[in-house]
Amino acid sequence: MVTATEGFLARGDLDRLFQALGAGGRRIVGPTVVDGVVVYDELSNVVDLPVGWTFETAPGTYRATPGPSVRAFDYGVPPTAWKRFTHPPIVPLTRSRRDGDLVSIAPAGEPPPRLAFVGVRACELAALRIQERVMRAGPVGDADHVARRDAALVVAVECATAASTCFCTSMGTGPEVRDGADIVLSELDEGFTVRAGSPGGAAIVDGLALPAATAEQERRAAGQVAAVRATIGDPVPAEGLPERLRTALDHPRWADVAERCLACANCTLVCPTCFCTSVAVASDLDGLDATTERQWDGCFSLGFGRVAGDANFRPKVKDRYRQWLTHKFSTWWDQFGSSGCVGCGRCIAWCPVGIDVREELLAIAPVGASTGPVPWPPSPAEGRAPAELASVAPAHHALATVMHLVRETNDTVTLRLEVPDAAIRAARPGQFVMVEIPAFAIPPISISRIHPDGIELTIRAAGPATRALTSLPVRAQVALRGPFGRAWPIASAHGRDVVIVAGGIGLAPLRPVIDAVLADRARFGAVRLCLGARTPRDRLFVAEMAALGGRVDLEVAEIVDRAGPEWLGRVGIVTQLFDRAAWNGSTVSAFICGPERMMRATAAALERQGVPPAATWLTLERNMACGVGTCGHCQLGPFFVCRDGPVFSVAELGSALVREGL
Amino acid sequence: MVGSDQLLPDGLNGPSSRASEPSSGVRLPLTIRCMETSALTAVLGDTWFGATLPVAARARLASVGQLVEVPDGTVLIEEDRPCPAMGILIRGRIALRLRVQGVGDRTIMTLEPGEVFGWSAVLPRAVATSTCVAIAPSVAILFDGVGLMMALELDDTLAAAVYHRLLASVARRLSATRVQLLDVYRAAGEPW
Repeated sequence: MVTATEGFLARGDLDRLFQALGAGGRRIVGPTVVDGVVVYDELSNVVDLPVGWTFETAPGTYRATPGPSVRAFDYGVPPTAWKRFTHPPIVPLTRSRRDGDLVSIAPAGEPPPRLAFVGVRACELAALRIQERVMRAGPVGDADHVARRDAALVVAVECATAASTCFCTSMGTGPEVRDGADIVLSELDEGFTVRAGSPGGAAIVDGLALPAATAEQERRAAGQVAAVRATIGDPVPAEGLPERLRTALDHPRWADVAERCLACANCTLVCPTCFCTSVAVASDLDGLDATTERQWDGCFSLGFGRVAGDANFRPKVKDRYRQWLTHKFSTWWDQFGSSGCVGCGRCIAWCPVGIDVREELLAIAPVGASTGPVPWPPSPAEGRAPAELASVAPAHHALATVMHLVRETNDTVTLRLEVPDAAIRAARPGQFVMVEIPAFAIPPISISRIHPDGIELTIRAAGPATRALTSLPVRAQVALRGPFGRAWPIASAHGRDVVIVAGGIGLAPLRPVIDAVLADRARFGAVRLCLGARTPRDRLFVAEMAALGGRVDLEVAEIVDRAGPEWLGRVGIVTQLFDRAAWNGSTVSAFICGPERMMRATAAALERQGVPPAATWLTLERNMACGVGTCGHCQLGPFFVCRDGPVFSVAELGSALVREGL
Repeated sequence: MVGSDQLLPDGLNGPSSRASEPSSGVRLPLTIRCMETSALTAVLGDTWFGATLPVAARARLASVGQLVEVPDGTVLIEEDRPCPAMGILIRGRIALRLRVQGVGDRTIMTLEPGEVFGWSAVLPRAVATSTCVAIAPSVAILFDGVGLMMALELDDTLAAAVYHRLLASVARRLSATRVQLLDVYRAAGEPW
């Protein structure tokens, strides 16, 4: 916490501070001018600072101009954000190699450089804190981010001028620097008032043996930051904003802004808090050696919400803009307990068509707007806890060996894996693993059976990676990461009737539920298994299900969407197996998995049967990549499907289950 | 159990059965189980369709129906041909099939006990839109189309009750057909 002025650094002595910061090989990063734009980059000396440069910003406009001022920190926030150094655009993750059936995977990358960030604004300190909440204080720390942040020293400079695009005052992040910096400077014409904000900062400041700042210097320093606050005002009243946005998901303005938005993703690239990433895989031509690296991505990318089956949960610009804005100002609170916006205004200045987020917020969620129905329970975080995660660092892999395989259908194979890793063997029904073979993308696969010495994965070949996995021979190795996600709450069904509804490949993640229920059969009432498939040939685990059909303590019914005359079983949709059943729905716990449209129809039919939404569980599919809620791909409203799900109750999801474009 | 069927309601296994052409106009060697109207009313009352019919309407409907045994493989109604009768399946399974040029017969839906078939019989043109085939030994109540239409025209209460249930049944199939059209289980590309 910054509490007291420590001294005064004369302008001519700034170089002494730089030397102290650079002691021990620490490199200094700060503002400098490149091609007429102030950016954050490595500085060799104080002469690299943008002395005299001032700026002008407006929606879609940024212009830096050299001038006669002696000040070095009178520029506005540049397009570069500090996340470039704490969460770089590209981070090598792994190097992998396939040698016959054997696979080896090793972490890539190097220890992070020791850096001193000079010129960090109050809003940018808030952004660093927010990224910390995401990547350090989340359920699993991002090792790369944590190492980079821990290796950085932060020298903040309080704002002496305001840009027209600033709104830190509304977001509660500035312009005054309160905490989060090692050293805080306030720039005056003749030099800097200096405060220490941490023991490390204090040691550096003490080493400079600075004279005390005069009372007049302190007054001027305080006065100029107060003037900045007055200039900015309160352009976006934030009180109640998350709630207002949450209930404005159908506002016509989303379509209006989509007409103007280019979906270029500039706003996410310049945003100091946006953290979403994707993993890119590169390999040699022979596919034996491969590398993976994490790259910045964002919710404006068309492919960001794409999942198997060519489905895209946010196909329209309207959907993607709504995701970005509601995440920043509303669902970020649900996920991380803070706003995702710091009010730096970069997204306004660097939007090529000048979309002003302040204006959009005031139009979509104005103060005093009547709120509509809440789309999901107000505080998802108060519901079931997110998954407890084992060792899941991106570079941590457990090797597994294919011991046996079963071709279930013409495109689906079950791999029986021997897994030495105890954490994966301790997986619970409903959890998933990320499955990697060198040179291929890394799909999330639900565990279809848990054995004492390994697991089974049932995989449908729908793309290059899953085709490669379903073509593996016995004795081949794969690399696994996980287990991830919340499990099916099977114990919640003790003493109740159980209905399990599976559609297509959705039977795979439900198979461990069937195993668990049958292993503890006396704890449950009637157990009914309803199976749907596209055609008779697409049914999974046919012999196994037929054997279950012979049990007296279990009802099994199956139905296919379409069939030829040779099929004498049921044809129709899976809800027809139970929508006229004479159950007492209130005593039923239901477990559902299948295509999302099928699950929606099933959940609705079960509710009509009286099954409580809080006792109706389903597992969602999203583009899960990291498995721990830090890549951002699998967001659904306030949820990270990989971490808060994939198993949810219908009550938890609220209308998020049926709302398009989330 | 896979493919398990509902038990035949009490009263259907009585001795008084004979093979004949039912009055429904379905010209097939079906075995008619002669039942008192009251017994048939009870059978109808055990179905989804008849359970919530007003008592008088249920009895009136039963009075124009006949309980028939339908051997496995029997084609009850043929696509594009006159639909002489409407039926309610009591036991067994019936497939609704369409002929697809170059492909052959496709089963588009199967009916389980309690469900209605041959509703075209109460539509003005009375032409069947699909072929109804018993794919398991079945029992059904058949209603002669002409007789049923007359009964519905003469009895508004009966008509309201029957058409209400027919609409619910049609809506259920329409809803299912929409989902089938989406082909939600179709395998396709993936992001990996």
